[in-house]
Amino acid sequence: MDYERENEFIKDIKSVFKEVVCTVKRERRIEIELPSERLFEFATRMQKNWDYPHLSAISCVDWIKENQFELVYHFWSYNKKILVSAKIRIPREDEPHFESISSLWQPAKFFERDIHEMFGVVFDGNDDLEKFILTEWKGSPPMRKDFITRKYSIEFYGERKYNPEWMKELKKLGDSNDKN
Amino acid sequence: MTRTNDEVRDYNLFIGPNHPGISGNYSVILKLRGDKIIEAKAEGGFLHRGFEKLMEERLYLQNVAIVCRICVPDPDPNEENYSRAIEEIAGIEVPIRAKYIRSMILELSRIASHLLAFGSHAGSIGLYTLPNWTISDRDRILELFEELTGGRVYHIFIIPGGVRRDLPKGFKRRVLEVVNYLESRLPEYDDLFINSKLTVKRAKGIGILSKENAIKWGATGPNLRASGVKADIRKDDPYEAYPYLDFDIPTQVEGDAYARLLVRRAEIEESIKIIRQIIENIPEGPVWNKTPNPLKWRIPKGDAYVRTESSKGEFAYYFVSDGGVRPYRVHVRGASVTHGVHILENLLVNERIEDASQIIFSLDACPPEIDR
Repeated sequence: MDYERENEFIKDIKSVFKEVVCTVKRERRIEIELPSERLFEFATRMQKNWDYPHLSAISCVDWIKENQFELVYHFWSYNKKILVSAKIRIPREDEPHFESISSLWQPAKFFERDIHEMFGVVFDGNDDLEKFILTEWKGSPPMRKDFITRKYSIEFYGERKYNPEWMKELKKLGDSNDKN
Repeated sequence: MTRTNDEVRDYNLFIGPNHPGISGNYSVILKLRGDKIIEAKAEGGFLHRGFEKLMEERLYLQNVAIVCRICVPDPDPNEENYSRAIEEIAGIEVPIRAKYIRSMILELSRIASHLLAFGSHAGSIGLYTLPNWTISDRDRILELFEELTGGRVYHIFIIPGGVRRDLPKGFKRRVLEVVNYLESRLPEYDDLFINSKLTVKRAKGIGILSKENAIKWGATGPNLRASGVKADIRKDDPYEAYPYLDFDIPTQVEGDAYARLLVRRAEIEESIKIIRQIIENIPEGPVWNKTPNPLKWRIPKGDAYVRTESSKGEFAYYFVSDGGVRPYRVHVRGASVTHGVHILENLLVNERIEDASQIIFSLDACPPEIDR
């Protein structure tokens, strides 16, 4: 397949954002890697010039080894029928700040609220970052990779005592799985 | 104790989480003036199980048993999305027969979920016969699921590489029987519920979602189509066997609770049409392409964003693999994250208290998708 429509759209993007990396992943899927400071400009253009009225989701990935958070914005166009995933990276701090796009897409307000709750990223310009799911949670944001559920549960609920024979067997199984 | 005028006039009312007028484990705080809603605030988190985190600690195959629990009335889009994301990253080809079986399950699940939505909508306006009918009719679909997969509500049937097993003997005939029965029931639903004067009077002009607002507020699925946008992921971003099947996208233009009802009603008919085509055209062949030993299975580094048209709207998974035996990150975009929070909060404003639960049910939001 030669991905004609996708490549044509990439040409449009490249005419404005020369330095970005664009790849066609498959039919109807384009991936774009942007420098974080150009995301708002890109999002504005997506909505105003390139006919992308629907923000499907915002995903956050914690790349702990690289000490970075990755934010992935998924845009969908009802007419073009191409999904664009724009990826940006921000430094992984205790309270990283990033620009909100809730002024462009209203659903972004809740997506950002969710990421704020689960990863602790603060979105400047979003006035509603209140907790939604974990209203009584006081610890660090739980979806971060350095929050280890097993460690937390042992600390707060104590370790369970199992039959030592079973534990031996489980450990053997675990060793063969844990080589990543 | 003296109270100011404002305090006497305006008061807060809680709908949910223990309330028959709320769809599941969810709550809405309404600020009222008289019987008019002036502000609504959605509250979630009553069914948070941390599945996204849990999935990062489990093997690829173990997660199939988790993902279906993300949406109770319509669990299969989750399994399908999850499996398809893995197949896309790992480059696994799915046998064509498995694709047809998957589509059939998705459509059966869509009908079951729409029937539940009918029942709860009817219940919210006081027609208590219909919930009993739809739930017992839905049970016939669940019986089919039980025969095929072993589970009534959660099927854990769609796995990476295909489906768990082939159709049992005589299953096609039994699906057709159920489908014919459901079709024969639709006129009865019309008489009792959809064309009933009570429903028309109560549901027309309530909770109007205009075309502009539907797009701006991020509506998807039946709620978007009831506002006059002809968009369906099955057609626009086709997956499984949908490119080979012939069906229409029902739309309405009014965007009110009644229009959403009519769209769901028409979608049941379309689903029946699709199931009949699948039964007729399903090719022979294997149903599962063997995947490696699940204990040691590593899938290559990469990510995929997959989307399904569930009965509630756009269901999407963002799946990231770092080349290990467990997923690095699975982000679930439930169909109700927009319907249940932003759209609901906006639609309820300026409506009256007696219509609140009808609007909530007409959006058909599924709280477990929001909480995960």
